[in-house]
Amino acid sequence: MKTPIVAFALSIIISLSARAELKWEQTTIELHPTAADKQAVGHFKYQNSGKTPVHFKSVHASCGCTTAQTQKDEVPPGDKGEITATFNIGDRTGTQIKTVTVETDEAANQKTVLTLKTVIPQQLEINPTFLFWKQGDKPDQKTITVKVGKEFTVKHLKVTSSSPDFQTKVEEKGNGEFQIDVQPQETKNLIASTLTIQPDDSQKVFYATARITNAPTVQ
Amino acid sequence: MKFSLTRQAIMLAVLALLPAAGEAIYFRDKISWRSPIPPSESVNADQARAWGQNAIWVDARPDEEFAQDHVPGALSLNEDRWNELLPEFLAAWSPGKKVIVYCSSLSCNASREVARRLRKEAQLPDVFVLEGGWEAWLKQK
Repeated sequence: MKTPIVAFALSIIISLSARAELKWEQTTIELHPTAADKQAVGHFKYQNSGKTPVHFKSVHASCGCTTAQTQKDEVPPGDKGEITATFNIGDRTGTQIKTVTVETDEAANQKTVLTLKTVIPQQLEINPTFLFWKQGDKPDQKTITVKVGKEFTVKHLKVTSSSPDFQTKVEEKGNGEFQIDVQPQETKNLIASTLTIQPDDSQKVFYATARITNAPTVQ
Repeated sequence: MKFSLTRQAIMLAVLALLPAAGEAIYFRDKISWRSPIPPSESVNADQARAWGQNAIWVDARPDEEFAQDHVPGALSLNEDRWNELLPEFLAAWSPGKKVIVYCSSLSCNASREVARRLRKEAQLPDVFVLEGGWEAWLKQK
């Protein structure tokens, strides 16, 4: 009666040992690039702890903004290596989670998902980045709130409007918060302005848009 | 006999649970899922087409994919060049227009992210993610 139980247990043990070939040092990496970095690079290290070579069948990043490279296509027993995942930050903000799916010819564990978590520092949080007035509306003043990221210090903000048709005024509210008041001269014409927002001691430039829009579309 | 069968079944179940629990712990990082897009924030290709001129199509894919082909009239707005492309999109937007954001299976979550930023940062209403993305639109073409 005990025979089927023993056989079942043995089959589990054998199947578990068979899959343990490509051992990953870590399958999740968290990166903290600086505000000036254009890329974040993660190195996923592995070792073939099995007795047969492992071949990479495919390495596929979940997103066009991430590339992944293997050093070799075949990993002999005992050999070490790494997969390099490069995430292009672009104009992205906040925490970005991208994955790389690695497919090998291992019998039991053909797919491994590597996770690259990138925490992009945000110097300024601008809310909203778009202000609009409908054509013919009263040219009331509207407000943009700017919050300085925890790890940054900003004493002054310089705000420039690309169009003289919009007036801007910056007010420091304390606790790393600023208020930008924006007001159009009039709302007769369909005009727009790019507001350039720059912290005093930073090269980084942020943007907001102010616009006079046409009337709502009839639906 | 009945008791021994039950006991054996329980033991087999316990034995099966042990490696399953081990695997769940060891491979916990490999389990991935995405929260579904709320129905109010997505639109299917049929509905999106029906909106006609009342909608702006936004292509969240990388520049190269947009350059290859895109929904006619769609504007490119991706996070690689967000600061540069956003003013162009906002110039085309007007109150009352719906915004349909799409990406492809190759550019993963891009449409969700672009839609999220349009809602949260630019505070635009009526921003929708196209269900099935570029591939769904191609099928309907």
